[in-house]
Amino acid sequence: MTSGGRQESASERLERAVGVVLRAGVTTSTVCLAVGAAWALATGESGPARVLLQTGILVLLLTPVARVVVSIAQYVSERDWPFATLTTIVLVELLASAVAALVFNKRL
Amino acid sequence: MPVVTASLASIIFTAGVISGSLGALLGLGGGVFLVPFLNLVLGFPFTAAAAISLTTVIATSSSVSAGRTGKQLINMRLGMLLEVATAGGSFLGGLTAQFVAQSVLQTLFGVVAAVVAVIMLSRLRRRNVILDPGASPGVLGGRYYEEESRTTVTYRVKRLPLAMAASFVAGNVSSLLGIGGGIIKVPILNAWCGIPLRAAAATSAFMIGVTATAGALIYYGRGQLEPALAAVAVLGVQLGSWGGMRFGAAASSKWLKILMAIVLLVVAVMMFVRGGR
Repeated sequence: MTSGGRQESASERLERAVGVVLRAGVTTSTVCLAVGAAWALATGESGPARVLLQTGILVLLLTPVARVVVSIAQYVSERDWPFATLTTIVLVELLASAVAALVFNKRL
Repeated sequence: MPVVTASLASIIFTAGVISGSLGALLGLGGGVFLVPFLNLVLGFPFTAAAAISLTTVIATSSSVSAGRTGKQLINMRLGMLLEVATAGGSFLGGLTAQFVAQSVLQTLFGVVAAVVAVIMLSRLRRRNVILDPGASPGVLGGRYYEEESRTTVTYRVKRLPLAMAASFVAGNVSSLLGIGGGIIKVPILNAWCGIPLRAAAATSAFMIGVTATAGALIYYGRGQLEPALAAVAVLGVQLGSWGGMRFGAAASSKWLKILMAIVLLVVAVMMFVRGGR
């Protein structure tokens, strides 16, 4: 450890990347939901309000997915294969839910 | 699905604020209060109540965890490993919820609410693991700096199969009933798997975002999630949990736990009565 600032460890890099994704997702979805809800209350559920609400919900649902994707990328770049594999399994489980959602929605 | 009106939206927003702040004060997600309110008081279908609650779980998990990153309190490796079990359990729970009767879900919720109440009462005096500062954390363990005691806490993970099994069950219950599931995982991780309470709670809060997403996606696809109502619930819970965490430290939580345990027992009885019809 030197005075010039120590090397950031792999786990610190991962935490920072995950923090950025979560913060961006929460901020974006909260803003969309707040503006969408206010708009809907003011004018009724008009087109733009509906789009904002749907976007807010989708960003909210996709934030944990994005966090998993970023983690996989980090583990791969660290060549941490066991954890890259485990995290990929989590992503596959989330995709299975998305596929089930599309099946229920009769889009597939 | 109920018609969205301004008064319904404000009722749900208020319910969100209350469950969010109670959740933050008690160290649980607010879902265990929000679901029975939406289902029993407002008369929403159980699946619609669970869907709204799951979106609030995701929002709470993301915002709480975003604020905690960089402190090494969240054990990411352990979290990612246990997520394999919770996400699988949650996926199956979300599918199951589509095929079972509302009365079955209500009865199950009654059981879980009663168990949560008992856990809450039995843990009025929290105990912590005794730690050996010289120990190596191993592959899955962790190390973090605790500000109050000014010490570095090191721990190893014990009984991993138990932790995985508890996570699977928590994930399953989470998407069946619309709650986060931390109340099931955290006591087990703390009492039997060697993980200090704070690290267990932070890691669980981190994981439940992924857990709830696996379930919420299914409800969303099925058209059981009303975006406008989910939006006001999420905004309410965000505000409530922010307030709860900011002002909660001052409040003594012992009487609150007893009070809430009583509320949950009442909820359990009501769910049994409805489910038994």
